[in-house]
Amino acid sequence: MKRSLPYLLLTPALLFTAFVLCYPLAQNLVNSFRDVQMVRGAGAWTGLTNYRHVFADREFWLALRNTAAYALGGTLLALAGGLAVALLLERLSAGTTPLMTSLLSLPWVISPVVAGFAWKWILNDHFGILNAWLAGAGIAGPGTSWLGNPRTALVCVMVARAWQFYPFAMVMFLAGLESIPSEQYEAAAVDGASAVRRFLAITIPNLRPVSSVLMLLGLIWSFNDFTMVFVMTRGGPIDASMVLPVLVREFSFVHFDFGKGSALSIVIFAVLALLSAIYLRVLTGRERA
Amino acid sequence: MKPIITAAAVLALLVSSCARKDQGVVLNDWNFGGRPRLMEWLRTRVATFEAAHPGVHVVQSQKSWNMIREILYADFSAGTGPDIVNVHANYAAEFGGAGYYYPVNTFPDFEQVKRWYVPCMMEATRYGDNYYGLPSSAIAFVLVCNKELFDREGIAPPRTWSEFREAARRLTKDTDGDGVVDQYGLVLMGGDRGGFAYRLVPFFFKAGAAVMTDDMKHVTFNTPGGIAAVRLMADMYQVDHSVTPGFLAYTLTEVNDLFCSNRVAMSIEGPWFRGMVEDKSPGKKFYTVPVPVPDDRIGAADTAATLQDMVMYAINAHTAHPREAWELLKYLRNEEADMAWIREDLGATATTRAALASPEAAALDDLPLYVHEAAHARPWPSHPKMIAIAYDIFAPYAEKAIVGELSPEEAMDQASREAQELIEGKR
Repeated sequence: MKRSLPYLLLTPALLFTAFVLCYPLAQNLVNSFRDVQMVRGAGAWTGLTNYRHVFADREFWLALRNTAAYALGGTLLALAGGLAVALLLERLSAGTTPLMTSLLSLPWVISPVVAGFAWKWILNDHFGILNAWLAGAGIAGPGTSWLGNPRTALVCVMVARAWQFYPFAMVMFLAGLESIPSEQYEAAAVDGASAVRRFLAITIPNLRPVSSVLMLLGLIWSFNDFTMVFVMTRGGPIDASMVLPVLVREFSFVHFDFGKGSALSIVIFAVLALLSAIYLRVLTGRERA
Repeated sequence: MKPIITAAAVLALLVSSCARKDQGVVLNDWNFGGRPRLMEWLRTRVATFEAAHPGVHVVQSQKSWNMIREILYADFSAGTGPDIVNVHANYAAEFGGAGYYYPVNTFPDFEQVKRWYVPCMMEATRYGDNYYGLPSSAIAFVLVCNKELFDREGIAPPRTWSEFREAARRLTKDTDGDGVVDQYGLVLMGGDRGGFAYRLVPFFFKAGAAVMTDDMKHVTFNTPGGIAAVRLMADMYQVDHSVTPGFLAYTLTEVNDLFCSNRVAMSIEGPWFRGMVEDKSPGKKFYTVPVPVPDDRIGAADTAATLQDMVMYAINAHTAHPREAWELLKYLRNEEADMAWIREDLGATATTRAALASPEAAALDDLPLYVHEAAHARPWPSHPKMIAIAYDIFAPYAEKAIVGELSPEEAMDQASREAQELIEGKR
């Protein structure tokens, strides 16, 4: 009894995981090798046909490029923003830091749907506050279209994504900054190192483990992000901001071709699994160090 | 013995408490979209139905129009779903053909009920030999013109493509003299692919172009009339700059905002637009006219087709209570009920002969135009892949042509080719 108790206690959680995670995943994998149309139901086994259709689709390659740009650009922007704000917060007096940190963390706790709609209105060409500010400063005329321009739409969604993710990076960087031994800075000051030199030679190397974890988490979460893109642009204009999760919806719920949609989601799963494996490797390497 | 009796009593209590209270016949009625006034009217109408039919209880649910296909497909394919539902009439092909809708022509009094409706509207609910619902509200796409801007400029609503283009050009201007154009002739709705396709296709139809052959075996976006319709929009955008530059991001919300704030003069809309404008900008006036025709078709302007969209009430083929569902359907859509579409602005046009011929109908400004346009209008071809083609192929290629990424010929050729591949199962 004593030996089996842990397994017994684990059973509900394992059953729950099997039901809500393993079963849908396995079913999705099965569907990706079958012709599954909503009206006709699951049809014949088609081998790799769905995967061939996915890779032959011009939208897939466009969405893959956009997803990579969105994930990489959004994450880098968020990390840069998070680090900048963390450095500023570190210099604030200890009394104000918690309040400022809480206020600056608000984007992280706002629902992505709400954030997406808010950004959509901020960027609205005729009624948005961004154009009002830019017009006031004489930089751009009112009516400049940000989300309606295929050249700027993806960048705008990327900025919105970075805005949502930067508080997480900020908190992590703040913790990382606090863990840097002050002796290192004192020794550098004695040696006459400038502020820039101290930042490059002490701060950045000490933050490298945090940065790599943040980078991987940011890539994984952004690669899988559906909400922000769907709310702000639905993948438009003219597919300019089409990303893979939105394309899965197109295949599955516009064409109702669940076989092709499943195949694409398995491709996304494979990419995310690879990123997660790298993440775990980085994390365990850090713990060993 | 005593414990057994106690256990049996507890078990009986549990079973009786778990048993459902007998509510008689329960009908689930799903409504997608609709203006608040329509929902209120439906609630009242259902309450009077329940009062007149003791033993029948109707559970109403309001759902998003944007998710209609996803929700219906998921529920119908699982063998569930509501007993009655309001849907696009052109779903008769997709869902009726798949056996999800009840063929209402099998009810004994169907022929009598059918006579309530304007024949072309009733026909929109038919697929093959069966009728899959009762018309709920008719929608014909028309051109709405901002009266204030047109009157200020001293021009009349356009009837031909050249008048349309000229009006848009004249109404595009810098009104406050700061060197930046702040008023545009035409707004399109590129942020919603479906909405965009529904607003461009009326120009195809007015030019006499079809999007598929009658046998629905060939896609024909690239006929001369279709290409001319796309070129008209491309010229207005690229040459005249009379289309709002940010149209690719707009949904109906932005269109309404721009129209109500006098930043645009024209849009392609339907009967829902009056209520939307009234909500946003009470008292605002606009002209409602047919979508313009190509100059060489002015002689056929009266009968040139626009796009027809129709909403119908359908019954789930798997309902356990078809007779009660049919009674509810008739009660919601009979001639007396249809008068609500005349007396109140419910966002669409009435569909029964009696309501449309009533004295109240004669007093409505836009109604004769909508009825006339609906009488000559054509729906999307009733092909099961049509909606996917319109949203995913036609709309993006037409947008590429309008902004100049492709020529109208290239865009429509590619759209036709890809759509053809889709209907042939090669994609």
